[in-house]
Amino acid sequence: MSESKRASEDGDPSKAGAESNVEPFPARSGPWAEGLFARYSFGRAVDEMFERPGVPLPHASALYARLAELSSDELARRQAQVEHAFLTQGITFTVYGEGQETERIFPTDLVPRLITAADWDRLERGLTQRIAALNLFLGDIYGEGKVLRDGIVPADLILGSKNYLRAMRGLKVPHGTYVSICGSDLVRCEDGNFAVLEDNLRVPSGVSYMLANRAVVKRAFPNIFRELNVRPIDHYGRALLATLRAMAPPRAERPRIALLTPGVFNSAYFEHAFLARQMGIELVEGRDLAVHDNVLYMRTTSGLARVDVIYRRIDDDFIDPLRFRRDSMLGVPGIVNAYRAGNVTIANALGTGVADDKAVYAFVPALIKYYLGEEAIIPNVETYLCRRPAERDYVLANLDKLVVKAVGESGGYGMLVGPHATKAQREEFHARVSAHPDSYIAQPTLALSTAPCFVEDGIEPRHVDLRPFILTGRETVIVPGGLTRVALRRGSLVVNSSQGGGSKDTWVLGT
Amino acid sequence: MHYSVHHVTRFRYSAPIRESLVETRLRPQADELQRLNGFHLTTHPRAQLFTYADDFGNTVYHFDIPGEHQELTIDASSKVDVDRPPTLPEALAPDAWEALRSDATKAQHFELLCPSTIAKDGEALEAFLKETGLEPHACPLATVRDLNETLYRSFTYESGTTRVDSPIEVAIASRKGVCQDFAHVMIAILRDWGIPARYVSGYVCHRPDAILDRSAPDQSHAWVEAFLPGIGWVGFDPTNDCLAEERHIRIAYGRDYADAPPTRGVFKGDAQSELAVAVTVTPSEAPRLATPFLRVLSAAKVAEAASPVTARLRSQSAQQQQQ
Repeated sequence: MSESKRASEDGDPSKAGAESNVEPFPARSGPWAEGLFARYSFGRAVDEMFERPGVPLPHASALYARLAELSSDELARRQAQVEHAFLTQGITFTVYGEGQETERIFPTDLVPRLITAADWDRLERGLTQRIAALNLFLGDIYGEGKVLRDGIVPADLILGSKNYLRAMRGLKVPHGTYVSICGSDLVRCEDGNFAVLEDNLRVPSGVSYMLANRAVVKRAFPNIFRELNVRPIDHYGRALLATLRAMAPPRAERPRIALLTPGVFNSAYFEHAFLARQMGIELVEGRDLAVHDNVLYMRTTSGLARVDVIYRRIDDDFIDPLRFRRDSMLGVPGIVNAYRAGNVTIANALGTGVADDKAVYAFVPALIKYYLGEEAIIPNVETYLCRRPAERDYVLANLDKLVVKAVGESGGYGMLVGPHATKAQREEFHARVSAHPDSYIAQPTLALSTAPCFVEDGIEPRHVDLRPFILTGRETVIVPGGLTRVALRRGSLVVNSSQGGGSKDTWVLGT
Repeated sequence: MHYSVHHVTRFRYSAPIRESLVETRLRPQADELQRLNGFHLTTHPRAQLFTYADDFGNTVYHFDIPGEHQELTIDASSKVDVDRPPTLPEALAPDAWEALRSDATKAQHFELLCPSTIAKDGEALEAFLKETGLEPHACPLATVRDLNETLYRSFTYESGTTRVDSPIEVAIASRKGVCQDFAHVMIAILRDWGIPARYVSGYVCHRPDAILDRSAPDQSHAWVEAFLPGIGWVGFDPTNDCLAEERHIRIAYGRDYADAPPTRGVFKGDAQSELAVAVTVTPSEAPRLATPFLRVLSAAKVAEAASPVTARLRSQSAQQQQQ
């Protein structure tokens, strides 16, 4: 079953060339020409394994050698094992579409993606710097508002954002940490350097896939895993728990922490249950909680038990029907008042979405400079803000070259990949951007780096990104790894799981 | 003017409910034109009260009642002293519109210039403006005065045709409504014209000649404040065709009703609720202190006690070396 599914996701190879920007590399000779890598092609994108055709990067040579030893059948067997492991563990996600929902296994590719110690060091420093600036920014816009008065970010972009929560004004959060769990999407560009494509500051998900991928892929390649001195990630649960503990109100000596899930119908319910189990904390739904006398309690079989920290996996709007959406059946009435009074901490804080808006993203390097006086260690991807007339005109004139994104959307919805779009799609976006320029940004079509993926009976390059998970309580901790997302369709640049993406295990190499 | 206000809110439920959580915005504002001499809130069933200042500076009292109950009464009484605001000029400075359009005004009152959930512009509002011929005058003050009066003339006061949070289209279509509706229509128009406007909830003490006031005397009231350059916030009451001066007691501000409801609550249980409200606003004498029963507990004589202190102060001041 998995074989046929895999084949259908790849699409018809005979047609794929038309929409692909990956040019086949013509020269082939020696062992490279035959076997697994026979169809490995190179385009303008950087490859995560090869320096040039047949020549692996130094850190990848051992893995390449190991792969080259294996037959296609052997790889298929191991791939099947990996998929079976996911199926039996129930690691699935839900795809939302127009009126229909589908439950799918998250496709995992067998071949791990390698990251060198030097690359990781830079990423770690860059992401730590970035989250520090973003937390200061959130504290500022919900506090004094200096950054707006100083004109670093236009006030209307923030105050007019539907994600700006007035309820957060003047509310103090422990350590000034608004974003305790951040998932930033990174891409490796044509110059070989990483850039940040997006920050996810609300309820970033996917870390369970990072952990699950590791558990199954290291079993598929046990020897090479040991040999490469891959840095461990299995302490993520402990690190997350320590982060959430650090966010507890000072009063709580042994804080009780609970993960607030929307429930079994949510696409990431598996992850919620998984993380709660990893941390040994309660998995609760809104109806399991109650606020009395401005204190949050959990209903237990032996009465009410005070809760100090909520790791929330539900949207701002739904968290408190007393304050926000009155029709919310998922939230806890009164939790915002208990939060304001400092009786409970909500992590991530409410109202963080205002800072991961795709338009605000464009200002992050300026924010790093403003708050920290430093240059951004990891750059942004060049971004055109359609709210600026000159940039809007450029975008409208170059829709065939750019990727256009709706400012308020995430997960790959409301997006146009210009070079791959039909004329009708481009015309539709022309009208949309002209009518609501404030709601759109555009970026150049990136040649995301490619990594070898096992497809059908061989190994081919597919575009990948990287989502590391950044934990911040009193200080910032990043588990060395992340979720490498793969655009499984040949030539496709869209890696979102909701848009037919898959994932890979990510091996950060030790020094 | 001194007022005593008594505001009772009662919720009755068709079946027993539990876990009521209620936020109230019932405490009058305390500022330079309005002194709050006393405020008292009680609930039945009894509850522990908590308070915070929301992002508009309104004082919110909130509480919860965990056990089963079928009725909830909130009793708020206040003593308030309202001064008459300075008399408005005939006209504002000639550059008043420029001042309103300045970046400084826009930055300061950004959210009170944007359409809000209830008070937002739309086709119905545009048609209304066209039909009534309403448009900005050379002076923003004259503009707001004219708007206030036109709204008074254009709408009939009739309760039951709208809800507190009805979109303005409902009132515009029927030309009927109550104070919230008129306030929302006025706010939407002012913002559309670039004049920052905010919703005010509160009470109005009715004029002795009741014909002049349309608003119901036994309910809370709502009106509008417009931000005018050189003056600041000025209250206009389109329901009663007047300025909000010393007859108006301000409780809470907001972008619209949704930010400033007198009560807002949720409960658990499958029941219909019935809301009953009684408001009395009584002009009163200046508050007096009751003295007859004071019992003297310490007998130190004030005049004598003062002198050693004065002497010590003098001696200590004299000792201070000056370099």
